[in-house]
Amino acid sequence: MDRRSFIKTAGAGSVIVLAGCAATPTDDGGTTRAPRATIEGTPSGTLTVATYSSFTGEGTAGNYLKSAFESAYPSVTVEFTVPNSGVNKYIQAKQSNSPIDADLYVGLNTDDLVRADRKLDTSLFMHSREYLDRKDAIKSDLEIDPRGRAIPYDTGYISLVYDESEVTQPQTFDDLLDSEYEGDLLAQDARFSDPGLAFLLWTIDAKGEDGYLDYWSALADNNVRIFDDWEPAYNAYSNEEAPIVVSYSTDQVYAHRFGSDMARHQVGFLNDQGYENPETMARFSDTNSPALARLFMDFALQPEQQEEIAKLNVQFPAVTDAALSDELAQYAYEPPESVTFTYDDLEGSVDTWTEDWAREVVGN
Amino acid sequence: MSRWVERAALPVGVVATIATLAVVFYYPVGSVFAQAVLDAGRPTTGPLVAILSDPFYTGVAHHLFVDPLGIPAGVFEWITSGFPSVALGRFGFTAYQAALSTIASVVLGLPGAYVLARYDFWGRRTLKSLTIVPFVLPSIMVAVGFLAMFGRTGLLNDLLGMVGLGPIELVFTLKIIVLAHAFYNAPLVTRLVTTAWESVDRRQVESARAMGASPLAAFRDVVLPAILPSLLTAALLTFVFTFMSFPIVLALGGLEHATVEVWIYARVQSLDLGEAATLATLETVISLALMYLYLRYEARQRSTAGAGQSLPRKSLTVGWRTLRSPVRLAIAGYGIVAAIVFVGPLLSLLIESVTAPDGSLTTAYYEFLLAQQASSAVGTTRPLPAIVNSLVYGAGTLVLAVPMGIVVAIVATRGGRGSRLAEALLTAPLAVSGIIVGLGLLQTMVFGTVLFGYRLTAAGPIAIIFAHAAAAYPFVTRNVAPALGGLDSRYRDAARSLGATRLRALLEIELPLIAAAVLAGAAFAFAISVGEFDSTVLLAEGVDGYTMPVALERYVGNRSLGPNLGPATAMGTVLLAITSLSFVAIDRLGGRWEP
Repeated sequence: MDRRSFIKTAGAGSVIVLAGCAATPTDDGGTTRAPRATIEGTPSGTLTVATYSSFTGEGTAGNYLKSAFESAYPSVTVEFTVPNSGVNKYIQAKQSNSPIDADLYVGLNTDDLVRADRKLDTSLFMHSREYLDRKDAIKSDLEIDPRGRAIPYDTGYISLVYDESEVTQPQTFDDLLDSEYEGDLLAQDARFSDPGLAFLLWTIDAKGEDGYLDYWSALADNNVRIFDDWEPAYNAYSNEEAPIVVSYSTDQVYAHRFGSDMARHQVGFLNDQGYENPETMARFSDTNSPALARLFMDFALQPEQQEEIAKLNVQFPAVTDAALSDELAQYAYEPPESVTFTYDDLEGSVDTWTEDWAREVVGN
Repeated sequence: MSRWVERAALPVGVVATIATLAVVFYYPVGSVFAQAVLDAGRPTTGPLVAILSDPFYTGVAHHLFVDPLGIPAGVFEWITSGFPSVALGRFGFTAYQAALSTIASVVLGLPGAYVLARYDFWGRRTLKSLTIVPFVLPSIMVAVGFLAMFGRTGLLNDLLGMVGLGPIELVFTLKIIVLAHAFYNAPLVTRLVTTAWESVDRRQVESARAMGASPLAAFRDVVLPAILPSLLTAALLTFVFTFMSFPIVLALGGLEHATVEVWIYARVQSLDLGEAATLATLETVISLALMYLYLRYEARQRSTAGAGQSLPRKSLTVGWRTLRSPVRLAIAGYGIVAAIVFVGPLLSLLIESVTAPDGSLTTAYYEFLLAQQASSAVGTTRPLPAIVNSLVYGAGTLVLAVPMGIVVAIVATRGGRGSRLAEALLTAPLAVSGIIVGLGLLQTMVFGTVLFGYRLTAAGPIAIIFAHAAAAYPFVTRNVAPALGGLDSRYRDAARSLGATRLRALLEIELPLIAAAVLAGAAFAFAISVGEFDSTVLLAEGVDGYTMPVALERYVGNRSLGPNLGPATAMGTVLLAITSLSFVAIDRLGGRWEP
């Protein structure tokens, strides 16, 4: 029976009663690996992909992948589910032994993976890397998960975006402390926002674990403004509340598409660096379709799909052999050097870092 | 209706209300709060004490929990060093900004009630219906409207610039947070107080005047006691809401103005639910304690509002003489302020929805909505289902919440030991942060509760309506209880002694007399349902049950027109239009039952 229509019918009656509680034994996703799942004959069935809302719908990478995958394997249907709390929903579901209604998660960050492992005794996700036909094509610096569960499908860089008609480009982190840039920088809360966390980690990389709080204290004295998320921060930037915002190095792609004034969309790297934030996908340990999910991952890593995902997500491909669209090649910037924190860097530290950071800024 | 049914109706209503609350509120929220006070099943005060003794949260008050004996010496030292400013901590700051926001809301809302209740002018009824429109606007839209209105390059600074004033810098200050809170809550003050003011019996005022009381004395002795409970209720609700404010605080004021709620969200985000629950428990205890103190006060106030005609309204404009009437000139001044604070951000939002990033006029954002509607791609969020769902949930909530609210109001006003405590506890849905309610619903209803080896889960439209009704009914109670409490009990007693059942006396005598209050409660119930986000988004997963605010939130993240909030502002404008029409319709339809 089609799961979606089942939920729909039962939902209308307001109470769904499921017999028993799910207790499927799972592999630990780490030390001992489940064997490679294979498909006998033609791939068929339904693959449920959990993701964030802007990955699906009209004109998105998710929808492109669905159509392309379904035409390659006509007996397969790809469905999306969009939990508002992201991967947290599945961590909590697993904590309460509630069934997980998806096979694959798309849009996982390194800190999500760290949190899932911190909160659960058995891994939420299963190993994939060694079983992928395309494993050798993946750019090695994007492989954030030492246990090979989370597989990158695209990547991007956090940078500054500034208005060159208002300010000169800050070159270093210390430049931002200059009175010249007082009240000029708009950033995001590292606890609620991906670019916010990336920027914080970038400062930790630059100033060290012992120095970043002093740096932020000085930045706060210079009136950095911290928003809850990227959208309100970028909106304030668009409203000319301040001339610099923490954003993405792909900013000019949009500016070019919509004919905006390029002077207001200058990309600035600090210390000739950008913070790299790969987006990854992983199979749930509890999936009933591990082979189909693996097939989907391999499919998404094909050069042709990679090029298309990069174009639609306005990101860079995650594999070495994908071409970059002309638009991205011209308007998306890669820093001379990229900074990124791996799983091992974040494990056990990221919560302390963000909490100390938030207290430093508030207390200032 | 047989008498048996009539007799049973009220007790059954009470039981049904409590059962509903138990399932969609107390059990879910209790399951979260339990994590604050239980450690592996054993009661513990550890997490609570850890927070109370952390100066970051409680500021100077942490000494109370760390070193109570050292306080006299500490106070002495503070006095001798010349009263330096003390650290408030997050709880202190949160209460401080909530108090300022409450004052601002009363100052901005009360004159509105006076004008609406005492003056007649073209469009008065419609304006009254529209007062609570700001209440339903998602905070990201308020942020957009406020930046476009009060920002560095906003409309206000443009206007000030034209007359050679300004610019004023409001963004990233406490002032703009307080102003945004007033934008949300002053309408609450206006609507609640207008309702009470309109039910002041003109005969009482006229007899007071006939017996020689000055207009001021008549106001003080007759009008003020009648409107005070509603005014204080509105102030209390404002405090409770702004005490739990989150996204708007960071979106306009920045992290240095963070409230306790910001920390609750952060803890939920990192899944440290024990600490989130502890913070939320403290937040709720503070709100409920205030509520209880207020309700005890309200119970002692027994003014008898009447069943007579309301005070005659004066004409707002009296030709040329308008310019010589100080009161009318003051009203005009208030009108300008109200236009800046309330109409300004809404109008700015509307303008944003037709303005391209380069400032030119565009219809692209509305075309986007049409394209979404026409798209057949999976996962596309379509505006029309969102509108229909919002209206269906809103209507369902209204139908459920109004009887629930009235039943609780009857219990609360009957008096007797503990009835006010009972009301305070029953009003708890107002005092628990939305994210905690959402978390509880996720743990108990979405993931299910295992009973006798079966996993019971509930989601979908009916569950959403029940969850909304639990959140909305306290508004009905808070509108109805003061009116019902003020009603002369002789009307009911007379009906009862003539043989009417309690239900019949209620339906035929009491409710018609307080129809305006019931109507205001109904409008609020609808508004709460339309604006609700946290539980809706959880319970609507898996079904295409998204509402207007949920659709709007998804458009915020949509990049198909580039990194701007245009599509969301278009949806925000649609939301405003639909809810405005709904409020007018509720008042017009409901107004038929007004005497």
